[in-house]
Amino acid sequence: MRTRILLVPKKTRRMYTAFIAVIIALFVISTLSTDFDAFTLIGKSNAIWQFISEDFIPPKLPSESKVYDIFEGVLVTLALAMSSTTLAAILAFFTALFGSEQVSPYPFAARFVRSFATFLRNIPTLVWAFILFSSLGIGTGVGFAALLITSYAFMCRAFIETMEDVSDDCCESLMAVGASFPQRVFQAIVPSCVIGFISWYLYCLEVNIRASTIVGMVGGGGIGLVLFSYIKTFQYGISCSIIMVIAVMVIAVDQITGAIRRELSK
Amino acid sequence: MKELLMRPQYLMNRSGQKIAIRAKDRGHTLMLFFAGVIILSILSFCCLGVNWGRLASRSPQILEVFWKLGHISLDQADLVFVSLFETISIAVLSLLYSLLLGIVFGMFAARNVFGIPALSVFVQSFFSFLRAVPTPIWVLLMLVCIGIGPEAGVAGLCVHTTAFFTKSFAQSFEEIPDETLEAIEATGAGKVIVFMNAVLPAAFSQIVAWCGMRLEVNFSECAILGMVGAGGIGFVIANSIQGYDFGTAGLAILLVFLTAFLIERMFIAVKRIFK
Repeated sequence: MRTRILLVPKKTRRMYTAFIAVIIALFVISTLSTDFDAFTLIGKSNAIWQFISEDFIPPKLPSESKVYDIFEGVLVTLALAMSSTTLAAILAFFTALFGSEQVSPYPFAARFVRSFATFLRNIPTLVWAFILFSSLGIGTGVGFAALLITSYAFMCRAFIETMEDVSDDCCESLMAVGASFPQRVFQAIVPSCVIGFISWYLYCLEVNIRASTIVGMVGGGGIGLVLFSYIKTFQYGISCSIIMVIAVMVIAVDQITGAIRRELSK
Repeated sequence: MKELLMRPQYLMNRSGQKIAIRAKDRGHTLMLFFAGVIILSILSFCCLGVNWGRLASRSPQILEVFWKLGHISLDQADLVFVSLFETISIAVLSLLYSLLLGIVFGMFAARNVFGIPALSVFVQSFFSFLRAVPTPIWVLLMLVCIGIGPEAGVAGLCVHTTAFFTKSFAQSFEEIPDETLEAIEATGAGKVIVFMNAVLPAAFSQIVAWCGMRLEVNFSECAILGMVGAGGIGFVIANSIQGYDFGTAGLAILLVFLTAFLIERMFIAVKRIFK
């Protein structure tokens, strides 16, 4: 009698099947609901190729006075990301102290702090930007506020998780010897979590560089606004060179934060 | 031995002073880092040139807008729900197409699958360029190329998502020990068969985790896309805020929030199952 020997355990196999079934179901439902047709896209690939080869490449430089605008835009975008992330990190640190049940002096309030952060976090940055634009008017300061809100909420969650991963025992033992709340914070939490905090801060900085470009596009100023105005006026050659500048900016920041991370984890 | 004792830290201990608890170097680097961050941030604040006083004086209006947004109106509920569903579908579709593309390109980008270093370096650097440019820009360009419709949204989102998946899948593939690959290769299997039978199953749980994480990101990106000109819920939000129809905008924002929240909860639940 010949029976096949299963190569994959039954349980794993069932999981694979379920996963693939879910994927196919999702695919069918969403394809039907949006009338998306991959073949249209392939059919239009000619148009895409034509656009890239004729309008987009080679990258062109705008007139000299406009080049200065581009560099100013890059500077504003970087400054937006840097200042909002730092302020958000400082605020989030103090909030996170009250959001973690082991650390907070008022554990019952921890849940409220977390739900507040969850509420702020789950509304995308650009939606915040629109809400703020309608109340405060367009400008760099409003872009700053929109970035501040989402990165604050994100770092609250990240900092709370870092604290709970690391300092459970530390905090308990300090509590047992009667340390006060500030003592617990500065003797147990800060020394053991500071590297974790910094790595989240750097991650948030990377995300915010991209986000501040996008917030700029709808009126926050910076390189995003410059790019958007060129795309709107069909000057794709110049847009191409601005996109290159953005890519270089993002990659450079990623490299720098990566180097800092390596340096600090030594 | 005597030389060792002459070192300053030992001398200090003998004379009854404190012993430093922390490693000296680490504290030094940290201080340098904090100083740098603070200086850069202050410079950035100056560079922005924002009139903070005026901004602060206007801030009570935020509450007013929230008050208006809170009065949810159901007049255009059908439009809001249809566009929400469209947004979710675009997010899911772009995720699935990029999953497929990401596995294929991840195969090229991983150093251990084909064993051609030049190929993987080329693929990785190309995709890190694509990743560095934010998604809305790709969508804008796609809108220019192929016109308004779900195709532009999916294609634009796919660019960024595929680039992200390629990098993270390649990382997961490279974690697989060479011994496993060698063992299957020794039976005479080709590269593709090795990939299907050893690399892909081993990276499966990580792929699921990346997908869940990316679904969250894609949804919020997709909600944004409407604001730069593509359709979906973002368009409804932007349009109704600009037209002072705060009731509809409130409903749309609430739905975006609830969906994002549900996706996050679902992802946490799935992660728990896989652990």
